[in-house]
Amino acid sequence: MTAMGDTVADPAAQVSEQEVTAARRTGTFGRIFRRPSAAVALAFVVLLVLVAVFAGPLAPFDPDDKNITSALEGPSGEHWLGTDDFGQDVLSRIMAGTRIALAVSLGSVAVAALIGVPYGLLLGYMGGWVDRIGSRVIDMSDALPGLLVALALIAAFGRGLWSVVFAIGIVFCMAIARLTRAVTLAERNKEYVDAARVSGLRPPEILFRQILPNLIAPLTAQASLMLGAAMIIETTLSFLDVGVEGVSWGGLISAGADELRRHPFLLVPPGAAVILSVLAFNFVANGISDVLAGTSLGSLRSKACPSAAQLEPSASHAKPLLADGSFRPDGVLEIRGVTVALPRPGQDPVPLVEHTWLSIERGEVLGLLGETGSGKSMLARAVLGLLPRPTYLSAGSVILDGAEISGLPERELRGVRGREISAVFQNPTTALSPVHTVCRQVSEPLRIHLGLSRSEARDRTVELLELVGVEDAASRIEDYPHQFSGGMAQRVAIAMALAAEPKLLIADEATSALDTTTQAQVLDLLLELRDSMNMAVLIITHDLGVVAETCDRVAVMYAGQIVEVNDVTSLFDTPRHPYTAALLQANPAADQASAGRRPTIAGRVPPPGEWPSGCHFANRCSFAQPACSEQPVLFVDGVRCLRSEELAQAGALR
Amino acid sequence: MLKLIAYRLLLAVPQLLAILVLSFLLTYLVPGSPAQALLRFGATPERIAEVEAELGLDSPIHERLAGYIGDAVQGDLGESYLSKRPVTDLIVERLPATLSMVIGGVTVSLILGMGMGILAGTRLDRPADRAVMAGTSIAVSVPQFLLGLFLLLLVSIELEWIPVVAYVRFTEDPLLWARGMLLPSLALGFAASGLIARQMRAGMAAAVHSDFGASLAAAGVSRRRFYFRYGIKNAMVPVLAATGLTLAILVGASFAVERVFSIPGVGHTLLHAVTSKDFPVVQGAVVVIAVLVIVLNILIDIGYALINPRIRVQ
Ligand code: SF4
Repeated sequence: MTAMGDTVADPAAQVSEQEVTAARRTGTFGRIFRRPSAAVALAFVVLLVLVAVFAGPLAPFDPDDKNITSALEGPSGEHWLGTDDFGQDVLSRIMAGTRIALAVSLGSVAVAALIGVPYGLLLGYMGGWVDRIGSRVIDMSDALPGLLVALALIAAFGRGLWSVVFAIGIVFCMAIARLTRAVTLAERNKEYVDAARVSGLRPPEILFRQILPNLIAPLTAQASLMLGAAMIIETTLSFLDVGVEGVSWGGLISAGADELRRHPFLLVPPGAAVILSVLAFNFVANGISDVLAGTSLGSLRSKACPSAAQLEPSASHAKPLLADGSFRPDGVLEIRGVTVALPRPGQDPVPLVEHTWLSIERGEVLGLLGETGSGKSMLARAVLGLLPRPTYLSAGSVILDGAEISGLPERELRGVRGREISAVFQNPTTALSPVHTVCRQVSEPLRIHLGLSRSEARDRTVELLELVGVEDAASRIEDYPHQFSGGMAQRVAIAMALAAEPKLLIADEATSALDTTTQAQVLDLLLELRDSMNMAVLIITHDLGVVAETCDRVAVMYAGQIVEVNDVTSLFDTPRHPYTAALLQANPAADQASAGRRPTIAGRVPPPGEWPSGCHFANRCSFAQPACSEQPVLFVDGVRCLRSEELAQAGALR
Repeated sequence: MLKLIAYRLLLAVPQLLAILVLSFLLTYLVPGSPAQALLRFGATPERIAEVEAELGLDSPIHERLAGYIGDAVQGDLGESYLSKRPVTDLIVERLPATLSMVIGGVTVSLILGMGMGILAGTRLDRPADRAVMAGTSIAVSVPQFLLGLFLLLLVSIELEWIPVVAYVRFTEDPLLWARGMLLPSLALGFAASGLIARQMRAGMAAAVHSDFGASLAAAGVSRRRFYFRYGIKNAMVPVLAATGLTLAILVGASFAVERVFSIPGVGHTLLHAVTSKDFPVVQGAVVVIAVLVIVLNILIDIGYALINPRIRVQ
């Protein structure tokens, strides 16, 4: 069953992934044009190329025409940018200099790519000792200043155009090799996974069909940056009079430097030409990398996204869908109709969590069960008021001990986090700052919320670490997080979360990264602490075993909605929602708390933005009927399913 | 810590050997022979052979390489073709000025860069952040020597704040030395400060969005407290890595900046050697500069280990 589920689910996911990459690839350059800064920069580069090509006919004067009588003139109608010390027209000389500037930078980056790409491909593709030695060579080049290498090679080959191009090309080839190697390595590792399944692709095909296409975009960004850097080196070489012979920007700057006291304006035109050109290359590079990183922030920002303060988080937003009997309005924490949304440029925001009602009582352990992407972590973030930007609470409210905390100003929320509600997250090895001692971090809530002095906080930290089971706590508080094992690090994180004795602890996949034994120990610890501190615990997990073992009550979440809430025994014995039933069937051993198995059901959870308008589970539900997809399904009597009662009676869900 | 230093020194040995070999091979890249390049026009074959023998270019390559490395390890980098003085002397006597500029440049890049990076990193995605980031784009686009010329023009010639004076050695008068280094350091460090600022900002942003950023926020640590108690120190890790990479750039750029400010650094010797095909001096400069960069990088690595406790010698 599980195996079949895998084979059914994965090819579908893969195809769509390929489609996405293909779409992204074709769209990249189009999207760069849409960024104003990059578009202007690109236009400037095109202008430069045109000037370089047509410098001869375009230039108002012969760049070498000397006329001593009109030397060192400022800008005039005749000489737009003035004249130099020999009376030569500066504008014409700048135009002539564009040729060397562009020829050298384009040529040298091409040389760098011709050497660097094959070298990087070789290292990344061969791996092993070839890669180890080859990469050391790349690292070694870091100790050699580019200008020094270029100078040494010019000493050997002279200052002809080709030798300067080659000299600067050598400077950059190692950086290109480094990038190529990294991309190749990443693709190759992916390839191993795919190759096992797809098979039949020969290495050269993999190289050309998989790796090179993925290399083009980052390489273009890097090359664009290098064009700027190469231009700086070229100008510097010409300024030092060891660059390509002929009219060059560096040479013009050098002439300006000689006349610094008499006619400083001479410095301005060539200086501006260099700075603007390098800037243009850099902006083009930024445009490409931004698009690659998927941070079309420029466009995201343009649509105002309401900040927490602007929202009026009153329950009125959530009126359409009613709370029902399963919602107990006397909990320590009440989540009332919470909806979290992600704004999209030019479109309606996408909901990530929809109309969620949930309450937790003092001392209760509530499980929030769902697959990755169900929105359960987003809900936890919403409760803490820590939604990652630009997502926001678009409706609903969070009530703590009868007082609304959603929409509180940041200053007041700080008094809630750590003091009233705390959280422990998934990865214990990254849960604490790696460059600070454990003591400093665990004592933060003590100092912030309880106002303890440094030494008081320190003593209390030792007690806390003992409480969570860190052995030899007194001698370990000055240790750094990496000195703790995963399980111990998670205990430390729990100690920090508990330091100011909050009323509610949210454990967001807090044990998922741990091995089974450690997981059981940490869960036991949470239960003990619940008892000793009469604290409510919200356990967010994808693991049925964890729920079965620890929770009093459980809420099942699917595609942004809570689909069923019940106490644990009833939920496991008589599931009332087809999704819950399917989860249980995929994990027959869950009752015996065999931890760690991920539920597998044919098909995949629809991602936010692709949720069906009716029941979110309809496309995977074996009991779906046309009525299920007609309109949103309400949460009634602890379950969100039109056919729940009928199916339960027929015994179809067991 | 001692182990770390020893380990880094050990790593530097093959790096140095490789650079020695590369610099040795430089003369073999020369079309024709170095002697021909040196004599330029009108060289008869007899005269070339004579000069080659004189320069010791007639023995087999492996012997010469072994000799070159053996001498270099003892600090002997050969003799200048032209002045016949030891290369080591020619370069080392000019090293203090270059080193002064580079240290000044690194200091400027760190102060300016970290300042801008913290300004941007504590105001992520707000106007101040965008302004600083735009500023760094411009900073990295200005060639160092060009900025030097503009600074010289503005500060020394137009405003007459700092007079244009000859280079004063640190040992002569530290104050005058510092005054003389002010503008060159600024010229040299400004572009690198753009790179440092970006790393600082990126490091702070990464810390805010990290898992520990979330757990500390959930424990009640405010953004401000987080930035100053956790963000900056975490961001120093990438900042120091970037500083290591900017070192080589700074040293290279100093060759042009020293000309703007008439500072007697290695660049002058090197350029003279390049134009006059004085290969031993070019090779020697490559080796000495590489050693300088490697040593400075080791110092940075030590700072790195002080900040990042995870660094351990395997
Ligand atoms: S509403 Fe229909 S589609 Fe949805 S879970 Fe119930 S039976 Fe399945």
